[in-house]
Amino acid sequence: MALLNRMDWYDLARTTNWSPKYVTEDELFPPLMSGAFGLPQNAWEKYDEPYKQTYPEYVKVQRDKDAGAYSVKAALERSRIFENADPGWKSVMKAHYGAIARGEYAAASAEARMMRFSKAPGMRNMSTLGCLDEVRHGQMQLYFPHEHVSKDRQMDWAFKAYDTNEWGMIAARHFFDDIMMTRDAISVSIMLTFSFETGFTNMQFLGLAADAAEAGDHTFANLISSIQTDESRHAQIGGPALKVLIENGQKAEAQKRVDIAVWGAWKLFSVLTGPIMDYYTPLEHRKQSFKEFMEEWIVAQFERALTDMGLDLPWYWDIFLKDIAETHHGMHMGSYFWRPTVWWNPAAGVTPDERAWLEEKYPGWNDTWGQCWDVIIDNVVDGNMAMAYPETLPYVCNMCQLPILGTPGKKWNVKDYPLEYNGRLYHFGSEVDRWCFEQEPERYAGHLSIVDRFLAGMIQPMDLGGALAYMNLAPGECGDDAHNYAWAEVYRALRATKKAS
Amino acid sequence: MALFPITSNFEGDFVLQLVAVDTENTMDEVAAAAAHHSVGRRVRARPGQILRVRRQGAEEFFPRSMRLGEAGLKPTETVEIIWQAPQH
Repeated sequence: MALLNRMDWYDLARTTNWSPKYVTEDELFPPLMSGAFGLPQNAWEKYDEPYKQTYPEYVKVQRDKDAGAYSVKAALERSRIFENADPGWKSVMKAHYGAIARGEYAAASAEARMMRFSKAPGMRNMSTLGCLDEVRHGQMQLYFPHEHVSKDRQMDWAFKAYDTNEWGMIAARHFFDDIMMTRDAISVSIMLTFSFETGFTNMQFLGLAADAAEAGDHTFANLISSIQTDESRHAQIGGPALKVLIENGQKAEAQKRVDIAVWGAWKLFSVLTGPIMDYYTPLEHRKQSFKEFMEEWIVAQFERALTDMGLDLPWYWDIFLKDIAETHHGMHMGSYFWRPTVWWNPAAGVTPDERAWLEEKYPGWNDTWGQCWDVIIDNVVDGNMAMAYPETLPYVCNMCQLPILGTPGKKWNVKDYPLEYNGRLYHFGSEVDRWCFEQEPERYAGHLSIVDRFLAGMIQPMDLGGALAYMNLAPGECGDDAHNYAWAEVYRALRATKKAS
Repeated sequence: MALFPITSNFEGDFVLQLVAVDTENTMDEVAAAAAHHSVGRRVRARPGQILRVRRQGAEEFFPRSMRLGEAGLKPTETVEIIWQAPQH
């Protein structure tokens, strides 16, 4: 029997809306879950997905993708890539798996919300496949690191991280809860797929796959590439929804969701991806600085996506463009200085050669970030390790849950952005974080940051030991310098040379 | 006497930090408590200079001997700790 071509039957097959007779439309599609923005079913029937795929096609392609990634893993299992990898690269893997793997499972439930509650039939089909994608990503990114758990306890955080109150995970959960776990179907399509995935992860996965290949980790490179091809498809779910909203006079609401999600995504990137690219990756493997990567792959690409869609650039775009050269240096210094509180080993990345690279890529680095690093380096070189660790908590933002920071040294510009709401004093890391909170204060007001929890007596005893126990960081899991401070030898040698002359 | 949390924004440092002080502490003692978490860790000492305390965004410093409890600060409010050269 001859088979029809896909496009001869696709539109008809996925036209699955009907007029309910036994319940109202609002009972079939509760507005709280559907996010219909006051638009009836027939307005959403105009939703036209740009990437059309049928279930049999999906299964065939995914089977091939899985076979590819798993066979590379099997072939390289005895290659000792992990054992021989630069410690900075291992930290990249640990940070990535912990922050992402279980989040993928959570994303499957967000996709399932679109699958069930969206009034747009095309979205329901796309997100059925998207949901299966996210289950696959969760499974793979738990299975692949598992082989390393027996070699390194920190690898266990691939599974464990989301169950803990580690500060970075509180930040990740706060963001993902906001954009995908507690939003209606249409808002998920805008905030998760359009803003986070199109804007950030799709490109991030491309960059990470290239970095993995450069580091010789072909298993990870294949895994990430395999995932990225799914991302590039299901990230397109939000675009047509934005089109429907704009055509029906809902641009302001759509724009607001994009603006909130893009900012949160940026902050998460500044702590996860920025340090990896500019500090953890060995110098000889760096192709672009984080700022160059952001400008080429994220900014340019996303500006085009927004304007093509008929949206405006977020109101804070100038602040964002300035921040991509600054914020991640602070996030790196924070996660390095508070290194016992993370589940990977941060690489300092501040040898003289690395500092020369940083100064070239970020003119003025030595007069700002470098001034703080000078003090840290002196303490490490002198063996004055007590001063190379913290004795208190950094203050964190009540929106992004990350440390409130700015540029130090000669261009010191650190600032708190406070807000009093219902008698409670909130602190924010930027004007934009505070703006996000103000859009819907009741949504966020009850949340306690790690500092709020400390002040409320929820962390006992009130010292580093108590904080580590609260964050579920067991001995052997706490982070320390990735290279065990071997980099300090260069500075010792420089001192000796100087003394001799 | 009561424990009182403030947020320290220390000149030259990169991050805000939680600092536990006491309402009976003078502003010089508040500055010293904040310095404990910044100077020698990420900020170089400046011999001969003193540290002054002000509300974030204010031009005027609190008097050095003023007690924290008299300053009208809210718990966790941010204060700036600023280096000051000796005045002759």
